[in-house]
Parts: sequence; structure tokens; C-alpha cells
Amino acid sequence: MNNAQTAPKIKKETKNTIKVEFEDRTPFWERVKAKLVNLYTLKKVIYYIFRLVLLLGISYVILFPFFSKISSSFMAKEDFVDVTVVLIPKHPNLEIYRAIIKDNKYWEALLNTFILSLVCAVIQTFICMFIAYGFAKFKFKGNGILFLCVLFTLVVPHATLQLSLFMKFRYFDVLGIINFLGGGVVDAINVTGGKTSINFINSNWPLYILSLTGLAYKNGLYIFMLRQFFRGIPDELEESAYLDGSGIMRTFFSIIIPLSTTMMITVFMFAFCWQWTDNFYTDLFYTTAGDKLLPDIIKIPKSLDTNYAGQSLYSSAITNTCGILIITPLIILYLFGQRYIVQGIERAGLTAD
Amino acid sequence: MNLNIDAGKGGKKQKIQVDAPGKKKKSNASLESKKARAGWIFVLPFVLGFFLIYVPIIFDSIKYSFNEIKILVGGGYRLEFVGWKNYSDALLVDTSYVTTLVGGLKQLILDIPSIVIFSLFVAIVLNQKIIGRAAFRAIFFIPVILTTGLISDIDRANTLSSYMENSAGIDDGSGQESQATQIISVMDVERLFDNMMVGTEIVEYVVQMVNNIFNIVNRCGVQMLIFLSGLQSISPAIYESCSIDGASGWETFWKITLPMVSPMILVNTVYTIIDAFTADDNAVMRYISTVYEQADGNVLSSAMSWMYFLIVILILAAVAGILSGFIFYQRRD
Repeated sequence: MNNAQTAPKIKKETKNTIKVEFEDRTPFWERVKAKLVNLYTLKKVIYYIFRLVLLLGISYVILFPFFSKISSSFMAKEDFVDVTVVLIPKHPNLEIYRAIIKDNKYWEALLNTFILSLVCAVIQTFICMFIAYGFAKFKFKGNGILFLCVLFTLVVPHATLQLSLFMKFRYFDVLGIINFLGGGVVDAINVTGGKTSINFINSNWPLYILSLTGLAYKNGLYIFMLRQFFRGIPDELEESAYLDGSGIMRTFFSIIIPLSTTMMITVFMFAFCWQWTDNFYTDLFYTTAGDKLLPDIIKIPKSLDTNYAGQSLYSSAITNTCGILIITPLIILYLFGQRYIVQGIERAGLTAD
Repeated sequence: MNLNIDAGKGGKKQKIQVDAPGKKKKSNASLESKKARAGWIFVLPFVLGFFLIYVPIIFDSIKYSFNEIKILVGGGYRLEFVGWKNYSDALLVDTSYVTTLVGGLKQLILDIPSIVIFSLFVAIVLNQKIIGRAAFRAIFFIPVILTTGLISDIDRANTLSSYMENSAGIDDGSGQESQATQIISVMDVERLFDNMMVGTEIVEYVVQMVNNIFNIVNRCGVQMLIFLSGLQSISPAIYESCSIDGASGWETFWKITLPMVSPMILVNTVYTIIDAFTADDNAVMRYISTVYEQADGNVLSSAMSWMYFLIVILILAAVAGILSGFIFYQRRD
């Protein structure tokens, strides 16, 4: 290897680069061979392909139900009895959509659910941030025990509380305050013993109250996530704010909240979407006489005649179309918000300690 | 900051003057007790809700499970104390509760390892540099947001997509499995594993896991997110020094990645147990809610779900106890 001394021939010279030609350099193909044709590269390529196939496969599993639902929602009646039609409709039309939107009062349900979900999600995001911040940054007596209570609310299954949740909000009164103030109505004397109470069934109040107290669906999880996140924020940041004369509340609102926007968006999206598709609480707190919510639109519209050979497929296509109509707003929200979810969780730095 | 605390604690204000012009020195409380008070204010919503709403609800629920509800003519009801009758009814009189409970618990216990392992695996793959990583991540988290509550209800009653993919044969959550719609049939796998000297239980478990892939993928979104955050907190320097020492990817996984994410494994296992056991769509919960909707079934369902809850707590405690023995905590100081 003593050809280093021989001055290389300059092929091309520009301001920044020089192309040099070595006379006895290994030929191009041999270099490629030495670099690429070996076990290491082979292993890498095989692993790469394996990984890609796997990811594509799982993505298919996730996305296929959506594709099949979407394609069937455009099908006409005849397509369900036609054996040659599998995924692509032969007579594409919007009949099912039109019927659901008109007969099942889609817009009304959408509006009601939107208001409910938005208010609940906003309340839950802020309340959970408040609670989690308290748990993460302040040492006070009972901190640990109270946090265990938070986890406890996460563990108890809904069904356990079904009956008593209903009763609580059907005859709502806290510590007899409403009775004492004379508000509310006396109904069902046998239950309340003549005390007055408020009937919250068929209103949004049960869900708002649960959200305001951090007891709504999966709020324990949000509190847990946010607490881990706040613990990751260095204490020095707040201490310097205190030194500059800022109070605890002001520090929270002007230092902590701007820092945690991604986490906020994550929690907001979880809260919003889970409230949107929730059917446990909506079944429980809303009877048929109440406001129309999205779960109510899942039924066969009157104007569609399902009584023919392809009935079971047709009616399940209609139900699926209801599903599509329900989640379309969520998909739009997800397209905008998904990167925040990933980022938010990544920054949470969840640990078990 | 320290100065401030000392001044507050000792009460000797003249010694250390903290410059705060225009600020009244009125409070004698130390910063710590001030902060403790602030902490209470922050968690106040939860404390109020927990003690004024949640605890009464829990007590009511326990109370109902020991009573019988008599609906009265004029609207309303009367409670009649019946002791353990609801519990014994659930266990002895109701024919399908015990079988549903045992079957459901078995299924859930089998599901949990597969969910945790699968989500760890996917998180590791999604953490590597691949083309379209962002797109894959977005797709993998779709089920967390969309396939919950209502939509999973719709899916369960769905005959259409199983018809559409008859040839493709992937479980779509419709719960309608036939030999034709299974990805791998038990026979094929048994032939494959025949000479490997593993028990048939493991074979069946693997087959069941593969056929259940839709369910598993749908239920491991949050776990994947938690694992991803854990993986990203591992310092790349550790991997670098490992590869310099000549460790293979396999060794790195067992000796570095696994111990480092072991706290996450605990968190995820606990979360998965909670999530799987309290999900509305598992067999036991569905049975309980059908009982709830029956006439006079309200109290019975309360008793049933309290028994179920106790079992869940026991399983949770056992699993968390066993797992926490294997957890590696990195010393930070």
C-alpha cells in the first residue's frame, strides 16, 4: 500500500469538492461486492423485509375493518346478494347515508354529543391537570393515600357501580345540602323519605359532575399520566418563578401549562374520543325520552327495506354505516392530533417508581 | 430559595432579608406548609368528589348487594335486607354465572401475557428507524381512539366483514370463528411443533393468540405508547457501548432493553389487567349487564360484580407482587 505517495490525478475541481482518480483503485463492482455481498448485509435485508411485512400485515388487520365498512356503506341493495361483489360496489350510491342522516336524526345527535364531549373533555383535561399537579409537586399529609384512591377509582369496574350511580344522580343530593336549601323536588317519598332531591337523569349534569371531580371514565389514567409528566419537570423551574415573586397559582398557569401543551392535547383527545364513543354512561344517564345522542342513531332507518334475501348482510352494513358516521369526526380530529399523542406520551416518561 | 425557607422556619426575619419590595411580610407560615396547603387546593376537586360522591356510591353499591329491591306501586322502591342471599343466588342458583366467570377469567389471564408481549414487540419495532415510521405509528394508535365503546359493540355484531374476508381469513372481532376463517389451523401448527417436544397447551395458546390478533392489536394501544416512552428513555450510549463490546442484537435485548423497560412491564401488566377486566366487552361484564337489565336483576348484578371485583383485586395483587420481584430499577443517584 505504498501508492499513497503517487500524486492522484485530479479529475474535476470545484470550489468545495475535488474529484480525484486513483489509478490502481479496486474496481467499482468489486468494492460493491465486498461491501454488500456478505452475511451481515443479508441478515439486515432479511430483517428489514421481515419487519416491513409484519408492520404492513398488522396495519392491514387494523385498517381492513374500516375499508370493508366504508366500501359496504356505498353498496346498493343488490350488491349484497351478488356473489361477485366483495369489496367494490357495483352500484355505488349514498342511499344508506341519506336514510340514516334523515331518519335517525344524525345532525341532532351529532350536535348533542359534540357539546357533551367537548365540555366533558375540556373540564376533564383541566381538572386532571390540577389534580395531577397537586399530587406531583406538593408534599402534604395523605398525598400517597389519596393517590391510591385515584388508582382505586381506576380499578373498580363500571358495572359494579351501575345501579348506585343511577340512583345517585336520579335522587341527587350532597350531604343533604339541597334538601336544606329547599331546592329540588320531592318525588318518590318512599325512597328519599320526604327529602327533596334533584333528578339529573336525561341531562348532561351527571357527566359534568363526574368530570369536575375527576371521576369520569379513565380519569385515573389521565391523572397518573399527567402526574408522571409533571414529576419530570425540574423543580428549579418553579422555584425560580417563586423567587421572582410569582404565586403558586400564577406559576401553574403561566409556567406549567404552556410547558405541557402536548400532554394536554393528548389527554384532551383521549377524553374527547372516549366520551364520544362511550355507551356505558350514555345508556345509564339518558333514557329514551332524553336528548338524542350518537348511540341512539344505531338502528335501521325506517325508509330502508331490509326484508329480502340479503337481510343480515344489509342490516349489518347499515349498522356499520352508522359506525362510520359516528367516527368520521373523530378520524378528522385524529389526523390533526395523532402526532401530539405520540409526542405527549413520549415526553411523559412514564415510570413505575 | 433555601434562604427563604430558613427565614420562614426560624422566624428570624431580621437576620436574612429577602428582597421583595412592595411585598408584605404577613404570613408566618413556612413555605412548606404554604405549599402543602396549595397541594390540598389542587387536589381538592378529587377529594370532594371522592368523599362526597364516589364513596357513597361504593357504599350504596355494597348495600344494594345485601338487599332486595321491592318496587312500590307509587313509584320508588323499598330495600329489604336479605344478607348473603344475593351472593348465594349468584353462585348457586344462577346456572351460568360461575361458568361464565371461570371461562372469562381463564380467557383474560391467557390474553394478558400476549397483549403485553405483543405491545412490547411492536413498540421495539416502531422505535427503530424504518421507512414511514410516523405513518405506522399513526395507524397503530388508531384502535386506542376509535375502536372503543360503541364501535366495538358494532363490530361484535358484525356479520359483514367476516363474510367479506372469508378467503383472507382474519379475525375481525366479530367473534364468529370457523375453521375456514382461521389464519392458521391447529393441525398445521401441531405438525410444525410435533418434533419440538413442547406441550399441546403451548401450541394451542399460540394458535389462539394468532387467531385472536385483531383483538390483541385493538387492545394494546396504550401499552404500546407506554413502552415507547420507556424505550426512548434508555440512553443510546448504553447500546453504543454494548455494540462496541460485541454484543449481538439478541443479547442486547435480553441484557439491556428488557431490564430497562421492566418497570414499564409492571405498569403495563397492571394496566392491561385493569383494562381487560373492566372492559365492557369481556364475557363476564357482558353477562353482568344482561343480568342488570333483567327484571329484579339489579341487586343480583351488584352482588355478582362485587365478587368479580374481589377476584380482580386478588389477581392484580398477586401479579403485581410476583412481577415486582423481577423489576430492575436504575439507580439515578
